[in-house]
Amino acid sequence: MSGALFLGWRYLVFHQLKTAILVASITLMLFLPAATRVLVNDSAAALTSRADQTPLVVGASGSPLELVLSSLYFHAEQPPELPFASFVELRDTGWAEAIPLNTRFHSRGSPIVGTSLKYFSFRDLDLAQGRLMGMLGECVIGANVAARESVGVGDSLVSSPETVFDIAGVYPLKMTITGVLESNGSADDDAIFVDFKTSWVIQGLGHGHQDLAQPAAAAGVLNRKDGLVTANASVVQYAEITPENVAQFHFHGATGDFPLSSVIVVPPDDKSGALLRGRYQDNNQGMQMIVPSSVLNDLLDTVFTVQNYIILGLAILSLATIAVITLVFLLSQQLRKGEFHTLSRIGASRAYVATLIASEIGFVFIGSLLLATGLTFAVRQYALQILQSFLSL
Amino acid sequence: MNLRYFPVLLFALLLAACGGESAPEFATADVAKTRPLIIASNFPLYFFTREIAGDSAEVIFPAMEGDPVNWKPASEDIARMQSADLVVLNGAGYEAWLGWVSLPDGILLDTSAGIRDRLIPLQEETVHQHGPAGEHSHQGFAFTIWLDPMLAMEQASVIEQAISELVPENQQAHRARLATLQARLAALDEELRIAFAALADQPIIFSHPVYQYLAARYGLNGVSVHWEPGEDPGIKAWIDFQEVLRRHPAKLMIWEGQPGDEVAGQLEQLGIRSIPFHTGSNPPEGSDYFDVMKASVDRLGE
Repeated sequence: MSGALFLGWRYLVFHQLKTAILVASITLMLFLPAATRVLVNDSAAALTSRADQTPLVVGASGSPLELVLSSLYFHAEQPPELPFASFVELRDTGWAEAIPLNTRFHSRGSPIVGTSLKYFSFRDLDLAQGRLMGMLGECVIGANVAARESVGVGDSLVSSPETVFDIAGVYPLKMTITGVLESNGSADDDAIFVDFKTSWVIQGLGHGHQDLAQPAAAAGVLNRKDGLVTANASVVQYAEITPENVAQFHFHGATGDFPLSSVIVVPPDDKSGALLRGRYQDNNQGMQMIVPSSVLNDLLDTVFTVQNYIILGLAILSLATIAVITLVFLLSQQLRKGEFHTLSRIGASRAYVATLIASEIGFVFIGSLLLATGLTFAVRQYALQILQSFLSL
Repeated sequence: MNLRYFPVLLFALLLAACGGESAPEFATADVAKTRPLIIASNFPLYFFTREIAGDSAEVIFPAMEGDPVNWKPASEDIARMQSADLVVLNGAGYEAWLGWVSLPDGILLDTSAGIRDRLIPLQEETVHQHGPAGEHSHQGFAFTIWLDPMLAMEQASVIEQAISELVPENQQAHRARLATLQARLAALDEELRIAFAALADQPIIFSHPVYQYLAARYGLNGVSVHWEPGEDPGIKAWIDFQEVLRRHPAKLMIWEGQPGDEVAGQLEQLGIRSIPFHTGSNPPEGSDYFDVMKASVDRLGE
């Protein structure tokens, strides 16, 4: 018995190329559907987990999916904006905690998330270094941003212009890093968090400049008349907010009209949540309140359907592969007739020869199974790295 | 399904796939607290809060140089406020720093939110323009609300409610202390009424536009200039002052602090008596809020 296994093993080792092709084919046949299923299932579970942790989201009327992906992952196309007054109204109902989000801006590809301090406790985010932002212009960065940009507490990041050719647009803002978050394997790792008021400064709704009433700004004053001071372009506008100039920063217009991307709503109980949802259903005023998990479940239903079609396609390919492999083995037996005849003449039984052939097939399948299992685990462990390597191509 | 979401979805799915266990509780900078921490933004609010809270809470007035209205909290102050249970605010634009600090909404107590309809709009504003946004101004309200004891009583009432929400088991004690405080404010109101009644409609000049609520409460006939105690206002200011006097022949000037001897002497030559009437926004040395107010009342009666 062990002799048949040994002969089978030696045969496979001797015919390395043939063995390698067989193992690779069977491995792919097993790995592709398994990896697809594992990837989709694990991703869906983690995705719905973040959605489940986000009870309600309010945004301007539009695509609910866009709103959810923007609020939870900061990477979607921007949903229509809603006015800050909507957030204040929601907060002042006292029926829920409201967390503002303004996700419109980026810095070197990382989303800048304008929010309040409540976001950090809501998401159970822990600081690896430093402290939370305390004033305008300060930011807290995710672990991946810190690693990717090689920055830490005390360094700075600059907001990116919305378009490359926006030379007359808002000035990029230099943001000082006050804290780095511990990685939690979510979209928060890739985000730059600032106070929502800082995001308004980035948008140009607030700015800081020399005090026009002070003598130092005299050169920048074009005209003073009846309490109206007209400044010329030489008035220094600050591109960085420091403790020294922060008091010179101010906002123009009614704050209630300032934009937010969305508001995360955390009701204390189901009843308050239901009351709020009813309120927005009856009197939506151009806004929508959605349950992220239900929006994502609808989406995932579609994803699972697509996944099933992919697996069906792979199953058909697997059948074809099995047919080809069977053919290879049958042809191989034909070619090895002389070898089996010799074995028979030196005393090997038919069972011995059958064991030899079975052991060769068994070794190939077991090897392929182990390889496919290893690759599937690798996909599970290194999915993000794999994706990033694809994206960087 | 809309195909344009597929790349985003793929990215989100893969990001989510890498999700690990949720992180431990967020660690704030606060130390172990035995009592709620309350921070007040000026001395009158600190005094009211301390009087009402008693031992229920640790009440802090941050160390600051100059008038609290010009306070620029340092990062340590901001961190302390972030870890506080309550930050008592005057409102009416007094805390300009609120526009540039990050604090949790839930701990901010605007003591004038309920009397917004009685806030006095500022007469003066600077309009300026730069860039395509056009001209704009930074208009606001007079903020020395506590100088009207009746409004101060309402601020104190708001503070009591907030403290009682923080420490509900001591609510009765808080209410009793609020009643005592309000009785003292009512007595102060009566003293001020008597002191200012003696002035009748006499024209008064205020060294700074910070007495709007005092003037409104006691019917004072005053106009404001922008003079700082201890500073020479300069020649232009004196010329403008003559113009003010021509329209408003005052014999009394009320100051936020003790004016310099030279300025007081020059005013005397114009027949104008200088009386310091502290707003009390900074902590007085060795005395409390009522001592400060009483001293001002006494000076008015001299």
